[in-house]
Amino acid sequence: MAKQVGADRLGDFYKEGSRVRKRREWRGLVDTMYDYSRWLGIMMTLGKFVMKPRNVKAMFRYRWMANYLAVPMMVDRHTQGLRGEYLRICHEEQDLVIKDVANLLDSLFRGDRRIGNDKKFSDKVVLVDENEMTAVMMGFPTLKCLSRETPSTYVSVLLNQRAACHYIDVAQEFGLAGDVCPMPEAEAGVSIDDDAPILGACAIQCNTTCDGSLLGNGVISQRLEHEDGIPVFQLAAPLRHREDDVQEYAAQEIRNAIAFIEKHTGVKWDWGAYFECAKRVNYATKCRLEWLEMNRTPYPQVFGSNLALYTETNYMAICGRIAAFEKADTKITKLARQAYAKKKMAAKEYRHRAIVWGVQSHYYMDFLVWLLNCWGIVPLTDMLSMVSTKELVTEDTPENREQAIYDMAWLTENMIMRNRTHGGYKVLLDELWEFVEMFNADMVILWEHMSCKALDGMHGLFEEKAREKGIPLVWVSHDLFDPRIISRQGVRDQINSFMRTVMQEEPIDPSLEILPDDQSW
Amino acid sequence: MSIFLHVLKIIVIVIAILFGVTFTVYIFNLDMKLTAAIEPWLLKHYDKIDRDQHL
Repeated sequence: MAKQVGADRLGDFYKEGSRVRKRREWRGLVDTMYDYSRWLGIMMTLGKFVMKPRNVKAMFRYRWMANYLAVPMMVDRHTQGLRGEYLRICHEEQDLVIKDVANLLDSLFRGDRRIGNDKKFSDKVVLVDENEMTAVMMGFPTLKCLSRETPSTYVSVLLNQRAACHYIDVAQEFGLAGDVCPMPEAEAGVSIDDDAPILGACAIQCNTTCDGSLLGNGVISQRLEHEDGIPVFQLAAPLRHREDDVQEYAAQEIRNAIAFIEKHTGVKWDWGAYFECAKRVNYATKCRLEWLEMNRTPYPQVFGSNLALYTETNYMAICGRIAAFEKADTKITKLARQAYAKKKMAAKEYRHRAIVWGVQSHYYMDFLVWLLNCWGIVPLTDMLSMVSTKELVTEDTPENREQAIYDMAWLTENMIMRNRTHGGYKVLLDELWEFVEMFNADMVILWEHMSCKALDGMHGLFEEKAREKGIPLVWVSHDLFDPRIISRQGVRDQINSFMRTVMQEEPIDPSLEILPDDQSW
Repeated sequence: MSIFLHVLKIIVIVIAILFGVTFTVYIFNLDMKLTAAIEPWLLKHYDKIDRDQHL
């Protein structure tokens, strides 16, 4: 119960067998009042959402909506132990993402044939995958780009670690393989379970990253096209994205996708809107680069889940299309500069500077906060935050219009995750060690998403390089969406064992080493 | 003037009560404890919904 960073035993807030924590943190008067005011803001957002009868109807129709009962707790998990600017940065991001998801849900249910059934609205909707770069929508300001998978699976698992289990089981009951990535498997499970909203003039699916993703898209598009009558375009972005010889093909895919949307919605591409979005993408990139630059110094500011979750949302799902994110970029940068000038730290002790690589466990996104609070390991950056920093053209000229097609293709090829898990040895292995040097890191935490074939094959190569460089490397196994395979404590145990045996260290906050959060949201 | 002060007093009391109640809910995590109690009931409800399950 204190104002000072690291004064609380954060493990004492957990209760055996409970979904939720005993109470919220007292962070000193100013920070507690700030956190309380943001909690009130979240309650208002949720209150406005449930004021609409169609949203209440949807709550009783879709199983995944039950996970949204846990929204405030998701924020509490990510703000754990934070004070001052770090707390404010986290709220700027999380509260905006909550508003954005509330708007997404509201729009989905408005057009959903089962719920709002607003046909006129639905005819302006283009469905996209969860794990898809939305660059092809930058020039369609009057259309609604909506993802059904984002709220039903992606956000749901952030809210509740067990959110996807039901849908994974449904997919496997219908004979789908059990060893593919549980993310697309759960998305396919939602479709099989008849639990996806039905709306839209058309849909754009993308060959995201893997065999599982292609499997999931096949199941979903079958239902969309053949039963719901919603035409689907398959945007097949090249996987060898660093090679020059694939770029013309990638650009043609973008042209085809835009033509498909124009055909099915009757709306023409708007270059003015595109270049406005491109300016915002560039601004987001500039801010991200500044944060990463700070993270190279002894006083990193925007890191851990503050960096990871926001980058995932802003880079891929928003892609310059929503102006509110530009304002958030400005506020976050201002807070980071402020804290940096004062040489502030997010925890009482920084013992290790780590690069977190691989695909993180989605059911334990607040693991990065735990690393900091329990062991003093600063997650400087992570693989999914190391995305494209290429500047897009922003002036509307005939040459730039052609270049813009290539820019959109580049962004689509360089979606989060696939820009590292595909594209060759350099992007996944070599660049990790370049980042280790660049960020002056002394440790690598390597997620081993056990169902991700793209990474599993590189196991030995990572270890060989770590030995060569003399950098301690710890593998942390998980199954992305399924905590039944490896629990959150199972994830923590791998770090605990490594820190105690290899690093010969004691935790900064021993109350966090073993937590009774198996039943927790 | 006295009416104005009276109204002001009522407003201050209402705000203080609202603050007291909401802050108690906030600090003791009562909002999450309530929703955690609702969840099992909702899950049972979803199990009863007829669905057109197929590939």
